[in-house]
Amino acid sequence: MDRADIKKALKDPHKWGEKYSLWATYFCTGCGIMEIPPVLTARWDAERFGVKPMATPRQSNLFLITGYVSIKTLRAIILSYEQMPDPKYTVAFGSCPIDGGLYHTSYNTVNHLDRYLPIDGWIAGCMPRPEAIFIAVTKLWKMIDGEMVDGYKRYRENIDYYRRNQERVLGKEFIDSIPASTMVKP
Amino acid sequence: MILEILVIVGLAAPLLGVAIGYRRPRVRSVYSLLVALFPLVTLATMYGRTIAVQYAHLPFLGIDLSLRLTPLSWFFGIAISVIGLFALVYSFAYMKDRKRLDLFYFLFLLVNGGMLGVVLSGDLFTFYILWEIMSIATFLSISFTGREALSAGIKYILFSIAGSSAMLIAIVSLYVTFGSVDIVALTTAMSGATVGYAVFILMMFSIAFGIKNAVLPFHTWLPDAYSESVAPFSAVLAGMLTRLGVYGFLLAMYVLIGCGMLQRFNYHGISFSIVLAWLGAISIVIPTFIALLQHDAKKLLAWHGIGQGGYMILGIALGSSLGVAGGIFHTLNHAIYIVLLFLVVGAVQYRTGGITDLNRLGGLAKRMPITFIGGLLGISGLIGIPLTNGFVSKWLIYKAVILDSHPFLAFAALIGTWGTILSVFKFLHNTFLGQLPEEYKDVKEVPLAMQIPILFFGALILLFGIFPGIPLRAVASIEMYFSIDPIRSTLFGVPKAVGELNMINIFAAVLAAGLAVYGVFSLARKSRRVTQYDNYAAGAPVPVGQYQHSVRFYDQADRIIRPHLRDRIDAFYGWIATQSTAFFEQARKIYTGNINTYALWIVILLGVFVTMNLLGWRP
Amino acid sequence: MTIWMRIVWIAVLPIVALLISVFFMGLSRKVIARVQRRYGPPIYQPVIDLVKLFTQHSNISHGMIFDMGLIIALAGSLVTLLFIPVGGIHPLSSSGDLLVLIYLMLISPIGVALSAGASGNPNASIGISRKLTLALGYEVPFLLVLLTVMTQGGTTSLVSFVQGQSTSILSWGLFRFPLSAIAMFLILPVMLGIRPFDIAGAPQEIASGPQVEFGGKYLALASIEHGLHLFIVIALFVDLFLGGAANLGTFFLKMLLVFLIGVFIGAVYPRFRIDQALKYCWKWPTLFALLGLILVMIIGS
Repeated sequence: MDRADIKKALKDPHKWGEKYSLWATYFCTGCGIMEIPPVLTARWDAERFGVKPMATPRQSNLFLITGYVSIKTLRAIILSYEQMPDPKYTVAFGSCPIDGGLYHTSYNTVNHLDRYLPIDGWIAGCMPRPEAIFIAVTKLWKMIDGEMVDGYKRYRENIDYYRRNQERVLGKEFIDSIPASTMVKP
Repeated sequence: MILEILVIVGLAAPLLGVAIGYRRPRVRSVYSLLVALFPLVTLATMYGRTIAVQYAHLPFLGIDLSLRLTPLSWFFGIAISVIGLFALVYSFAYMKDRKRLDLFYFLFLLVNGGMLGVVLSGDLFTFYILWEIMSIATFLSISFTGREALSAGIKYILFSIAGSSAMLIAIVSLYVTFGSVDIVALTTAMSGATVGYAVFILMMFSIAFGIKNAVLPFHTWLPDAYSESVAPFSAVLAGMLTRLGVYGFLLAMYVLIGCGMLQRFNYHGISFSIVLAWLGAISIVIPTFIALLQHDAKKLLAWHGIGQGGYMILGIALGSSLGVAGGIFHTLNHAIYIVLLFLVVGAVQYRTGGITDLNRLGGLAKRMPITFIGGLLGISGLIGIPLTNGFVSKWLIYKAVILDSHPFLAFAALIGTWGTILSVFKFLHNTFLGQLPEEYKDVKEVPLAMQIPILFFGALILLFGIFPGIPLRAVASIEMYFSIDPIRSTLFGVPKAVGELNMINIFAAVLAAGLAVYGVFSLARKSRRVTQYDNYAAGAPVPVGQYQHSVRFYDQADRIIRPHLRDRIDAFYGWIATQSTAFFEQARKIYTGNINTYALWIVILLGVFVTMNLLGWRP
Repeated sequence: MTIWMRIVWIAVLPIVALLISVFFMGLSRKVIARVQRRYGPPIYQPVIDLVKLFTQHSNISHGMIFDMGLIIALAGSLVTLLFIPVGGIHPLSSSGDLLVLIYLMLISPIGVALSAGASGNPNASIGISRKLTLALGYEVPFLLVLLTVMTQGGTTSLVSFVQGQSTSILSWGLFRFPLSAIAMFLILPVMLGIRPFDIAGAPQEIASGPQVEFGGKYLALASIEHGLHLFIVIALFVDLFLGGAANLGTFFLKMLLVFLIGVFIGAVYPRFRIDQALKYCWKWPTLFALLGLILVMIIGS
C-alpha cells in the first residue's frame, strides 16, 4: 500500500484517488451479501482501505456482484451499473458469476456473467472469506496502477454485443426502456 | 390643479374606457395603458413637493374638501401606479380570450383610480367616499369569475362594510366634536383632546384599517378573496389594496393623533403601541404556519400576505425611527414580491389550464425558465435572503424590536421567517422542481407581455436589496413628515452609528465566492446531461406518469402542527353568519303577505302609542 | 485592520476553514472507528475522497438549476464564514451583524434544496423536506438563545459580544447564560446533522436524501459545503459561549473540543425519526432557552 507516498500521489492524483477511495454500491445482489457486513464492521475493517458502502450508484465506483445473478436481479444490476459514473470497476464474488456455480442448471440464473456485464476481477469461493476480499482489493489497486482495468471502456465500445446478450435473456421491452444516456461518451 | 386632474382621470377614465372598448377593443388596451402611465409619470415628477388644494366646498355641512400630496401619499401613490401599470400589461396577455373584458378593465382602472384618490385625499370626507368606491370596485373585481368568487367577494365586502362603518363613526364623531374634517385642522385640534377621546377615535380607525389590512382576528376574508380572483387582480389586491390599511394606520397614528399623544396612551404599562405590536406578532406567526398546511398555491401566498402584514404592523407600532422605517419599507418590498409571486402563479395557471393545486404540478422549471426565475426571486424576497429587498426591511424591523428590548416580539418575527421558508419552498418545489408530469410535457413559456412584469419586479427585488438607500431616502422624508427621527441611510445600507449593514460588501463577497466556486467547478470534467427518467430508483425503471412524488411534502411537521391550527376564528364568523341568517329568517316572518295580519300590526302599534301617551311619554 | 489586510484575510480565511473542516471530517471518521474498536481510515482520507471526486471522468447533471444550486450553496457558506469572528479575524463583520449572519446561513440549505429538487428524485425531495423540518425544529431554541444574548448585551454585533467575554473565564457566555448554553449544547447535534439527527441524509432510509443524484464534482462540493457548515456552527458556538479567542490557535483548540464531544455523541447513538427529533427540539432545549431568556429579562429590568 503506497497511500502515503506523496510523490507518487502528486504524479497521478487521479489514480491515487481511485485506488484509495473505492466506494462500493451497497447493492445486495445475491446470497453472497452475507459476507459483506462482516467485512464492513469492526472485525475486518474495510474502511481502513478506503472502502465505504454508498447508498446510491451515482456516488460509487466499485460494484460488487455478490453471488448468483437471477434474471430479475440482472435487470437491476444493469440499470445500477449504467447509472454509475466512470471510471467504474466490477468485481464478481464466488463461483456463480464465473460459470453458474451451485446454480449451474437453474432456469432462473445467469451462468456466465461477463457476457452481460464487463467484469474486472473474480474472487473464487462460495463465499470468499473477508481476507479474500481484501486480497482482491489490493490486487485491484495494482491493476489500476497498471491500467489493466478498463471494463467500463470495454462496455461502451462493445455495447452491441452486451445488449444482444441482455436482450436474449431480459426481453426487448426492458432493453428499450433503459435510458440511452450511457451510449454517450463522457 | 394637477391633483384634481389625477383624481378625475382615475375615476372618469374607466367609464370612457368602457365606451371605447364597446367599439374597438384594441384601442381600449392602448387607452388603458396610457391611463395607467399617466399617474406614474405625473407623480414621478412631483417627488419632494407638498401640494394642498381645496377642490370643493359643501355649504350644508360647512366643510371644505381638499386633496393633498404629502411624502406619505407620494410613496404609496408611486407604488400604486407602478403595480397598476405592470399588472395591466400582464393582464393584456392573461385575459386575452376571456369574456366581459369591458367590465374587467373598467373595474381594474376604477380600483387603481380609487386607491390613488384615497392616498391623495386631504380630508376625511373625500377619504371615506373614495375608500368606499375602492372597496365596492374590489368586491366586483373579486367576484369577476362567478360562483365561489362571488361568495368570497361577499365575505370581503361584509368585512369591509363593517370596517367602513367603524371609520364613519370616527369621522362623524370628529366632525361633531371639532367641526371640521380636514386632516391638518384635525391634527392641531386633536393635540388638545382628552386621552380617552383620542383612544376611542384610534380604536375606531384601528378596527377599520385592521380589517382592511387583515390583522388577526379580522383576517378571514383574505385567503378566499386572494385565491378566487383572477391573477392580475390578485396581484393588485395583495400588493397595494390590502396595504392601504397600513396607509390608514400611519395616517391615524402618526398624522391625526401624532407621536406625542400616542406615547400618552399608557394604562398601567399597557400602551396602544404594545397591544398593536403584539397583534402584529401574532399575525406573523399563526398565518405563516397555516400557510405550511395549504396545498393550493394561491391560498398559500394569501396566508403569507396576512403574515407579512403582521411585520408591517409590528414595525409601525413600535414608533421608533428604525421600526417605522422598517414597517413602511416592508410595505413597499412586500408589494413588489407578492405581486411577482401572484403573477408567477398566474403564469403557471395560464399555461397549465388553471391548475394551482400543488399536488398536481411539478418540474415546470425546465419548460418555463423565466417564470421559475421570477418565482425564485420572489420567494427569496419573501424569505428575506440577504441581497433582496425583503432582507433589508426585515433587518430594520428586527433591529428596532431588539433594541427596544422586546425579545418575544423579535422571536415571533424571527420564527415567522422559518415558517415562511418551509411553506414557500414547498410552493417552489411542487410547482417548478421535482418530476415533470406527462401532461405538462409540452408546456411553453408565457408570452412576452407576461414576462416583462415578472422580470421587472424580479430586478427590483435585487436592486432594492443591494441599493436600499434609494427607497430609504423616501422613507426618511415620510418620517420627517411624521416628526419622528428620520432614519439615516447610505446608498448601500445604514451608517455605522445606526448598525452594521453594508449590502455592497455582501454582494461583492457573494459574487467573488460564487465565481471562485464556479471556477473550481468548471476545472473538473464537464458534466453529462441526463433526463429526469435516468434517476436512481433502486435499480428499477423510473415509473412514468404514475406517481406525483411531492404530495404531502411536510407530512411529519403537518401532523404535529395541524391540530393546533384549526381555523376557529373563521368558524366564529361563520357561526355569527348562520345565527344572523337564522334570526333574519325568523324576523322576516312579519311580512306574511296577508292583509289581515298587516291590519293587526297597525292596530297593535296604534295601541302601543296610545298607551304610551296615556302613561305620559312625550317624544 | 487596514484594507489590504482585510482583503488578504478574505482570501485566506476560507482556505483555512476548508483545511480545518477537511481535518475535522477525517478526524471524525477516525474517532468513530476507534470508538467501534477498529482502525479506521487515515486522517487524510477526506483528501483522497475529494481528489477522487474532483478527478472523476464523468459527472452527471440534471440541468442548470442542479449545477447552480450547489454553487450558490457553497458560495453562501463561504460568505457566511467572513462574518464570524474566528479568533480575532473578522474581515467583513462591520458590514453585517448577527442578524445578517443568521440570514446568510439560510443561503446554503436553500441552494442544496434547489439542487436536490432539480434532480427530480423523490428521495431527494423527502430528504429536503426532512432537512427543512429539522431546521424548523432547532431554530426555535436557537433563536431564543440568540435573543437572550442580544437582549443582555443590548447589541446585535457579534464582535462586541465576543470582546465582552475576553475579560476573564467567568465572563464566558457559558457562565453568564448557563441555561442558554445548555439549550444550545442540546441542539448542537441537530444543527450539525450528526447522529442521532442525521435524518436529512439517511443513507439507509432515503438513499442519501438530497445527495442521491450527486456524483463526482457535485458530491465533492456538497461534502465541502457540509464541512463548512460544521465549521460555521461550531465557530458560532465557541464565539457565543466559550469566549471566542484572541488568536487562531486557541480558537481551533476550542472548536476541536466541541467537535470531539459531538463526534462521541454521534458514534454511539442510532437515528431518530423526524417527529421524534421535532418533539426533542421543542421540549427541553426550548424550555431551557425560554427560562434563560426570562431570567435575563428579569435580571435586566
